[in-house]
Amino acid sequence: MRRTHRPHLLARPALVVVAAAVVLAASGCAKSEDDVSDSDKSSSAAEAGQKVVTPKPGSKSCTIEAYGGRKLDLKKGATVGFSQSEKEANPFRIAETKSLKDEASRRGVKLLTANAQSQFSKQISDVQDLLAKGVDLLVIAPLNSDGWDPALKAAAAKKVPVITIDRKINATACKDYVSFIASDFVEQGRRAADQMIKATGGKGEVAILLGSAGNNVTTERTKGFKEAIAKKAPGLKVVFQQTGDFTREKGQQVTEQLIQSKPGIKGIYAENDEMGLGAVAALKGAGKKAGDIKIVTVDGTRSAVQGVVDGWISGVIESNPRFGPLAFQTLDTFTKGEKVPQDIIIQDSAYTPDNAQQDLGKAY
Amino acid sequence: MAEATLHTAPLDKARLLQWLQTYGVYAGVALLLVVNTVITPHFLSAENFRTQAVQVAPVIIVALGMALVIGTEGVDLSVGAVMALAASVTALYLGYGLLPALLVVALFAAGAGLANGALVALVGVQPIVATLALMVGGRGLALVLLPQLKDLHNPGLASLGSGDIAGIPYLILIAAALALLIAFVVRRTTFGRRLLAIGDSRPAAQLAGLPVRRVLIVVYVLSALLAAVAGVLATARLQASDPTSLGNLMELSAITAVVVGGTPLSGGRVNIGGTVAGAVLIQLLTATLIKHDLPPSWTQIAQAIVIVCAVYAARGRGKR
Repeated sequence: MRRTHRPHLLARPALVVVAAAVVLAASGCAKSEDDVSDSDKSSSAAEAGQKVVTPKPGSKSCTIEAYGGRKLDLKKGATVGFSQSEKEANPFRIAETKSLKDEASRRGVKLLTANAQSQFSKQISDVQDLLAKGVDLLVIAPLNSDGWDPALKAAAAKKVPVITIDRKINATACKDYVSFIASDFVEQGRRAADQMIKATGGKGEVAILLGSAGNNVTTERTKGFKEAIAKKAPGLKVVFQQTGDFTREKGQQVTEQLIQSKPGIKGIYAENDEMGLGAVAALKGAGKKAGDIKIVTVDGTRSAVQGVVDGWISGVIESNPRFGPLAFQTLDTFTKGEKVPQDIIIQDSAYTPDNAQQDLGKAY
Repeated sequence: MAEATLHTAPLDKARLLQWLQTYGVYAGVALLLVVNTVITPHFLSAENFRTQAVQVAPVIIVALGMALVIGTEGVDLSVGAVMALAASVTALYLGYGLLPALLVVALFAAGAGLANGALVALVGVQPIVATLALMVGGRGLALVLLPQLKDLHNPGLASLGSGDIAGIPYLILIAAALALLIAFVVRRTTFGRRLLAIGDSRPAAQLAGLPVRRVLIVVYVLSALLAAVAGVLATARLQASDPTSLGNLMELSAITAVVVGGTPLSGGRVNIGGTVAGAVLIQLLTATLIKHDLPPSWTQIAQAIVIVCAVYAARGRGKR
């Protein structure tokens, strides 16, 4: 019906130029609020590195002979590839990538990075690209646990050792990959329960703000929390558990509903900091005072630890994203020909009113 | 067509459907209110109604714009992205003060609306495709401008989000004022008449000499501006700008509110009262399920049932 207009075909490059101009103009003359925390953010270079939980005797380890790679010296021109799963748009991912980059430059190792932007197919091709670029070692933060066969086969064909961080891959350790470094999410749930018991005195009704449905972090943090509550404080009852999708806005909305319908609630366990901060916003909006309802969260971001300092949050269980030092140390030990554990569990610290102020610099 | 169905179907059933189409959503809201009064503890309190109204206000505001677009037989999928864009632009320009920041947000939103409107009205792209482009690109732009959540401390913005006049939060007042304004525009202005005429039949409107392109562009700009208002209010309420998650799936909530409210997707008719009630219905439904601590998957199933019922009531009706 309508004739095709030539002009809009020509307009295409113009459109790109316009879009670029918009971005430039917008960020060029932008002026955001002065953020006080920005200044001390950079000064806190004294980062808390990761400590390893002492492995149980008899836990499995892996050597380069068993894995079938070749020895090399990390210091002499080795290239390491890092495949990140999600966009660096949240504090955890930002801190994770930064930690690997910092450690690489500290050790003088060349690091190639790729980001899958939360698309699993992209992550597989990212890994294949990194291999094609000739990396000697791979660090992967997997988006999913399954579906890694093609990528791992490609790595095995080139005899490139693989280490996975923060999420586990469903494959055989020391055969398909070397080892796995992460936090124990069930343990995080248990420790959150300890904080909750301490804050509430072990009696009363508590609520859980769940993470996204169908996510292993959600299931494991819930499992640990409920287990510990049932075992240590039978007086504490979980009367409400609704998802806040790991976002601040949903955390706020669900908490608003919660405090209306269950005014007697004593504590809220938020499975990440963002939802916990949403809960704080909801409590403030409802005219509650700091400490009226005890909030315990998991992650350890700066805003949440500041919340502990201000008295709104009773405890933050850390989920340490700084994998850099530990990942490189493991690679170094492994490529020298010494043995490394197959499962490396990180020691997470915690922020309570006692240490929040002095440890604020360690939060990410 | 419509008359034929009226004659063949039994009269009572046809009447019932007609009634359901117009008043079903109000009946649904009334039913939920009664049920909740009986089964939900602490439901009948001013505090509770305020919470529900504050939570639904942004959805209502976005749905108003969506209703206008649907009235022209279009759809605007970019509203969630425009909300995110508004959030990140607010954070970016708040250093100049609240008012200048809001002006820049309005500029950006108008630009987004113009892009949508131009694609639909001038280039002749299908609305669903045109606005899909901005739905993807708009959020991308929002994230380029502000890659991560940022806490905001501006006192003006904070009071916009949590302040009130005589106990009624600004959010509710703004949503109510906008609803009245849009209802007035649809019913009493030439622009409203033209919008409906275009939705009824674009070729006929063109033949009648209506300024079809201009009206369409203005409708998409209005929709984007309303989405931006919702984005700013949601940001003000949260006191943080979160372009990653703000407005996620908002386009679907808005379309649901409009459809459940009795506005046909085929255009030519806009029911503003129904749209507001539709948003309230979904909010009450969600609130009921959350308050009784039912699994979140139930909320989705319940919403689906409401949508199917609404579409069933609208079944067999023509455009008018």
